[in-house]
Amino acid sequence: MFNQIKDLAGGEIYLVTSLLMFMLFFVIVGVYLFKLSKNHIKTMSEIPFQDHKTKPYEED
Amino acid sequence: MQLEKFTYDNRIVRNFGIATLVWGIIGMTVGLLVAMQLFKPAMNMGSQYTTFGRIRPLHTNAVIFAFVGNAIFMGVYYSLQRLLKARMFSDTLSKIHFWGWQLIILSAVITLPLGFTTSHEYAELEWPIDIAITLIWVVFGINMFGTIIKRREHHLYVAIWFYIATFVTIAVLHIVNSFELPVSFMKSYYLYAGVQDALVQWWYGHNAVAFFLTTPYLGMMYYFLPKMAGRPVYSYKLSILHFWSLIFIYIWAGPHHLLYTSLPGWAQSLGVAFSIMLIAPSWGGMINGLLTLRGAWDKVREDVTLKFMVVALTAYGMATFEGPMLSLKQINGVAHFTDWIVAHVHVGALGWNGFLTFGILYWLIPRIYKTELYSKKLAGFHFWIGTLGILFYAIPMYWAGFTQGLMWKEFTAEGLLKYPNFLATTLQIIPMHVLRSIGGTLYLAGVIVMTYNLAKTMLGAKLVANEAAEAMPLPKIVVDSSPADKAWHRVLERKPMKFMVLSLIIILIGGMVEMMPTFTIQSNVPTIASVKPYTALELQGRDLYIREGCVNCHSQTVRPFRSETERYGEYSKAGEFVYDHPFLWGSKRTGPDLHRVGGKYSDAWHYNHLVDPTSMSPGSIMPPYPWLIEQKLDINTTASKIRAMQTLGVPYPEGYDKQANEDLKIQAEKIAADLKQNNIKVKSDREIVAIIAYLQRLGTDIKANKETIPSNQ
Repeated sequence: MFNQIKDLAGGEIYLVTSLLMFMLFFVIVGVYLFKLSKNHIKTMSEIPFQDHKTKPYEED
Repeated sequence: MQLEKFTYDNRIVRNFGIATLVWGIIGMTVGLLVAMQLFKPAMNMGSQYTTFGRIRPLHTNAVIFAFVGNAIFMGVYYSLQRLLKARMFSDTLSKIHFWGWQLIILSAVITLPLGFTTSHEYAELEWPIDIAITLIWVVFGINMFGTIIKRREHHLYVAIWFYIATFVTIAVLHIVNSFELPVSFMKSYYLYAGVQDALVQWWYGHNAVAFFLTTPYLGMMYYFLPKMAGRPVYSYKLSILHFWSLIFIYIWAGPHHLLYTSLPGWAQSLGVAFSIMLIAPSWGGMINGLLTLRGAWDKVREDVTLKFMVVALTAYGMATFEGPMLSLKQINGVAHFTDWIVAHVHVGALGWNGFLTFGILYWLIPRIYKTELYSKKLAGFHFWIGTLGILFYAIPMYWAGFTQGLMWKEFTAEGLLKYPNFLATTLQIIPMHVLRSIGGTLYLAGVIVMTYNLAKTMLGAKLVANEAAEAMPLPKIVVDSSPADKAWHRVLERKPMKFMVLSLIIILIGGMVEMMPTFTIQSNVPTIASVKPYTALELQGRDLYIREGCVNCHSQTVRPFRSETERYGEYSKAGEFVYDHPFLWGSKRTGPDLHRVGGKYSDAWHYNHLVDPTSMSPGSIMPPYPWLIEQKLDINTTASKIRAMQTLGVPYPEGYDKQANEDLKIQAEKIAADLKQNNIKVKSDREIVAIIAYLQRLGTDIKANKETIPSNQ
């Protein structure tokens, strides 16, 4: 199936780099998520409510 | 620091909302019309301007870019202002954006029925409109980033990341898929040909789904759903992971639209692998949405907006599970080119996009009018008739898809095709098409009821055009309160431009990895010596094939299955398409594949078939094309078309543009003479002659080939 990759001069580097970029991406996101502080998460998830003063017409 | 007073622009939100309603009704009505033509071709009203091939693109463009497009802008303009605590950057830009977008849609409504099309699916609009789209998109970008810059909130909430990713990626997709060489005012040829054109188109097509129908809607979900439920999003961490992995992985999955074609095998496999991976971030979003409603399910029973949101998220979950499954080669082999794909798309479109839009409209319109919804009962009715509409649409389409896909592949015990006549498989599923249009009618009825309900709401109150708000301004220099606050994402959340560049890099990686080898490595598209450029008449015929939108029902790529080589002939090779600007492989077989149709029938058969398809194939649902006999072929364009092709690297001899029309006339005379022998009197200068010439050429070059064609699988 991968016949044509034999013709790819230096193709191995191309493939290995692609794979490494892919791995690296998830490692970075993973590490970042692991290090996130709880406070920050709380603040961020409450942003949509900061303007929220319940007005009469909003009460269902 | 003093509290600043400012206002939110609600007028622009309202305007985009009204446009969503109006274009929604128009786009869905056209959809219903094309659906009915699939069991009653006479529903084209005998006019070329309302025939399936020309107005199917009108339906797709109208629902995607007009209905969903306006809904996106409505949702973005409402939530962006509130999340950033700032009015939109410029009211003038907002207005230019609004009217510019409506004019672009209007130009599509005019040009597509006239037959001006590039033939690339969901990118059919010709080059002048492409330029207009680019300009208006830039206006939207400036307005959005201007607002972000003058914001009064440090951090960019997750919804805004989705908006930024949408803006950047759609810009890249649109530009790369619009590299066209203009031939005249409303005609152009793509720079890419054949396999490469196919790869670019489906990289675009797939990611238009990702970044026009998905990311902006996820952004809106992350703002509106917590607002409706009155509680924050279930997991903000999950939203970060979901965002980055979604935009990173989505961009690679395009080649799953080209499985078993002559696209290099490695690119197909890459597309499949990434499609499977896509389940994770897609379901991350769905789960995050549904779990936001934890503890609020009692509200779902009461609140119709939440009902719409729940069905939307469920449909999103189903469609994003089904998509990866469809990308598995074994399943794709049966499903591709059938109604299964139409069902899949509509679960996403009617369920996810449609219902999320309705939910937001019902929530947002009363708020910007400071009133209550006119009738909750009618909204409840809309919910149920809409849900029924989706079921009546999707189930028959799945049924039709399975049936047709299996019939195409069925062999008798003797090893012959059980249904050698393609038409038998079409006629089998006609009842399903009738049911589907009933589903569509129900869904459309719901939208009309909603429009009435919202119109009554709007007419009964006054728009709060400028809604007062107040917030603290941002200090000029942001000083981190603690050193730990320097985590890169937190910094990034405050630096929109860096955020945009990073998203851009992330989305470019996948596209580049897939496209670069296909474009730069010769052996990826093995050439075939016997494949020659089209004659002048065939080239004109090909452009008529494009104008009539034949590609909407007929594919031009024979897959390497015995069921296909038995039915159509030799499977398609990459080298056969090197002069095809654009490629015309298609994505749906309402009629049979045409790649090997050349030489299969006589000229007279084609003539009779085009004028009255049922005369040659009783029961056929192909519309008649009588105007092809009445209309004269415009040969003034031949020279410029030949020159354009030469610029694109098609090896016509030097100065051939001047001689082309002579050759064209000779070939046309020959076909007219052949028709005359069969008692068909037609002038050689008619369009039908050119299209017959093209059809007779299709897939024939390879027959003269004496050498082995290297496989690229």
